[in-house]
Amino acid sequence: MKHGLLLLGWLFAAWPASAQSYAVETIPMPEGLTAETGAIEFMPDGRLIACFTRGEVMIYAPRTKKWQLFAEGLHDPLGMLVISNREVLVMQRPELTRLKDTDDDGMADVYEKVTDGFGLSGNYHEFNYGPVKDKQGNLYIALNASSPNGAMRPEVRGVIKKEGRDSTDGRKQMFAAVPYRGWIMKLTPAGKLVPYAMGFRSPNGIGFDLAGNLFATDNQGDWIGTSPLLHVQEGRFYGHPASLVWKKGWTKGSPFVLPPATLDSMRTKPVVLFPHGIMANSPTQPLCDITRGKFGPFAGQLLIGEMNQARIVRVMLEEVGGALQGACIPFLDGQGLRKGNNRLAFAPDGSLYVGQNSHGWLGDEGIQRIVYTGKPPLDIYKMQITPKGFDLVFTQPVDVASARNPASYSMRQYNYNYHKKYGSHQMNLDSVAIRQVLVSPDHKRVSIVLQQMKAGYVYELKLKNIQTTAGQPLQNNLICYTANRLPGETAPVLKRPAFAKKDIEEGKLLITKSDCRTCHRPNEKLVGPSYADIARKYQPTEANVNQIAQKIIKGGSGVWGQIPMAPHANIPLADTRKIARYILSL
Amino acid sequence: MKKLLLLFSIFSACICRAQDTPLVIHMKVLQGLQFDVVRFQVKPGAKVKIIFSNTDDMNHNLLIVKPGTREAVVNLAQELGAQGPSVDYIPASANVLWSLPVVEPEQEKTLEFTAPLQEGIYPYVCTYPGHGLIMYGAMYVKQDAHLPDITDDGNIPPGRRQSDVSLEEDETHHASHHGHGTRALHPYTPVPPYHYRVFIAGASPAAIAVSLPDSLSYCWDAGECKLRFAWKGGFLDNSDLWKGKGDALAKVQGAVFFNGASAYPFTFKGVAPVASYKGYRLVARYPEFHYTVNGAHVYELIKPAAGGNGIVRHFRVTGHTKDVVFYAPPQEGLRYESSAGKWEEDKLLLTALQAREFSITITVL
Repeated sequence: MKHGLLLLGWLFAAWPASAQSYAVETIPMPEGLTAETGAIEFMPDGRLIACFTRGEVMIYAPRTKKWQLFAEGLHDPLGMLVISNREVLVMQRPELTRLKDTDDDGMADVYEKVTDGFGLSGNYHEFNYGPVKDKQGNLYIALNASSPNGAMRPEVRGVIKKEGRDSTDGRKQMFAAVPYRGWIMKLTPAGKLVPYAMGFRSPNGIGFDLAGNLFATDNQGDWIGTSPLLHVQEGRFYGHPASLVWKKGWTKGSPFVLPPATLDSMRTKPVVLFPHGIMANSPTQPLCDITRGKFGPFAGQLLIGEMNQARIVRVMLEEVGGALQGACIPFLDGQGLRKGNNRLAFAPDGSLYVGQNSHGWLGDEGIQRIVYTGKPPLDIYKMQITPKGFDLVFTQPVDVASARNPASYSMRQYNYNYHKKYGSHQMNLDSVAIRQVLVSPDHKRVSIVLQQMKAGYVYELKLKNIQTTAGQPLQNNLICYTANRLPGETAPVLKRPAFAKKDIEEGKLLITKSDCRTCHRPNEKLVGPSYADIARKYQPTEANVNQIAQKIIKGGSGVWGQIPMAPHANIPLADTRKIARYILSL
Repeated sequence: MKKLLLLFSIFSACICRAQDTPLVIHMKVLQGLQFDVVRFQVKPGAKVKIIFSNTDDMNHNLLIVKPGTREAVVNLAQELGAQGPSVDYIPASANVLWSLPVVEPEQEKTLEFTAPLQEGIYPYVCTYPGHGLIMYGAMYVKQDAHLPDITDDGNIPPGRRQSDVSLEEDETHHASHHGHGTRALHPYTPVPPYHYRVFIAGASPAAIAVSLPDSLSYCWDAGECKLRFAWKGGFLDNSDLWKGKGDALAKVQGAVFFNGASAYPFTFKGVAPVASYKGYRLVARYPEFHYTVNGAHVYELIKPAAGGNGIVRHFRVTGHTKDVVFYAPPQEGLRYESSAGKWEEDKLLLTALQAREFSITITVL
């Protein structure tokens, strides 16, 4: 500790504390409140609404610093979505509930069930999270698996499937004996609750990025070697076997007895691994920085709460081989943030509110606020994989002498086992020699060339002595990149979630009647790429459907080579969309 | 906690044995990052065997360190940073006397050593990241078995400094309801009627408990859409439910006088009932439950009966054309009265018109 203090003292001497880029302040909480914060959100009028373990929902006016009660009596609420200044949806243990103040007295008088279409065994670990809303108006909620350390109640809600619980070898695992434990569910605007994605253990936090990708975190435990960030896509399986029994058409009995290799081949791997004991032990809500710079230089990136350490983790993602992957880096270490960082929300002024909770594990209570002071930090803006190593892009130009010195960097690689045991050690741990370091002419990009690089590893980079020419030190000296794929590799082809069957069939019919066949075939490259190749390159999203639909109408060249594609202005947009849906469904 | 006290007495007994018989400590993990044995005493030079069984859902290690060095060792472990996992979060320090590497949930590892000859208070601690601040205990190496009063033993975590008496009180005394006496339950004082959604015995996991004026309370089940039971006395003790991970039930504080029958009480004549929960609305703070039975909308609002010796269930039913049968099997000591309809043994028969609005009063005789 002494060394740490000395070093810190030296840094402050060179770069004063008044130059901090972020300031952490603590929000005064009402007297008598056990401030285990289950959720925080902002209302359209700029007030903060928060819910707490003992069932209170309270509203805080940042201007007056006054709290008022909005609703009470909820069962362990852990998620919230604001509808208006008088109405919120709250995810509590038994259901998703609409709270509404209809008589305008400031207190909710309507507690209406929005959905309870999932099972409850009464096990303490059946925490529920969300909802978050997509651009089409669907809501997503996440349901924990149940814990072998707790029991099932004599009366449960939902049918029981015994094979959703425990394996035959006596080793207890998280279970899903009632419907949809371990799932993320989609609630359509029409009110239908649909199973969406499975294989979760304890997905304490879901959220969207700006592009509409849905993410969830999960917690280290059985089948989860280290806590991950998952890119949630319809119909996919994310690793914890219990929930598989609730997959439509599941006929394989107890999923716990399937060989790990079989389960591994079924799962979609995390986009980012948070190395346990290093980066995060219990990550929570992913929140996209939507502040367009009000919160500093990381607009569009994800911030993720961490329970066990006084830290928020920042995540930067990129598409490699058709799938997202990326790096995680500490954020706000040693600046007065407490532990138990369970929920995050941006205020209209671009400051970040953090709700804290321990809930019987590790953490503090209360709410803190983080304000960007406007003094730019020196930090790693992003880390990108290259064919030979990694590029680091810094928020400011760096001092060249230290930045191009290979001794300023040390790299290790390791991965984690996928097995039923609780957690995993770092496997295949090795240091990686750095062959060369190059600095860009603007001094903001550093290219690190490694002796060797393999897919399927976490690359953990430690930096030292990196600073600006003015002597401002690098804020965070540790960053971990999860290299599921190397550039140039294509993503494993997975069965894609289909668009509406009717659209796909009509699209297929339209394509056979068009002149598309002159240049394209479903599975072979003619003049243009095969439909399957297009489907491999573009994720089946509505955004990509629109992009391809426009491409069909306008034509163009460059993406697949220099031979131009003819424009098809005669095909109506609605039809090109159907064609695009058919192509992307392949 | 009673078990813990029993363990203490066993340890005392062990110490009387011969020097070469080790003192065996069965160490487990409690919820909320706590060793279940928070302190023990051993004679200088005696053999000790700690059987550490990880009964938690997280990984833990166990280090025994030199007196007064717990915080320093925890800080060193924290500073291991990226190297932590590869050394089981055990820092290389002369202050660490003995250690068990990471023990996974359900795993058991044993640590054997000979207690120091030097008397002193030797801390044991889990140095897994973050845990060390609260997950520790004290090994008293001393000749006599006298330990300081647990309520002011600064060598154990503050949350564990509870005397035997106060433990007994926690378990049996409910005057202030929610456990630890003076601390407020909420940032306001709940005044009946008010409600909690809780896990409670005798109902499905989707239960709602309501506190009424006149010391009356009831449990309405949103899973089953019916009144499950009602009681008189105090309301609920939620202290265990609200503590830590919430692996507990709310406890009823009073005498149950009404038990909902097992059969579904509300039936349209000749139709098997299918009920679906919709929610509730607070009417002057009384919840009015809304559910459907075979598509008809039922609204149920429960209030204390005049004089406070029972409850009145007010029903409104809309969107139906059939007559209603309401089952109310007799219970000893209770009297049922209705505002409309006619009783046939344990059934109240209501015409479709009568069922639009009626009430049933349950009086304790």
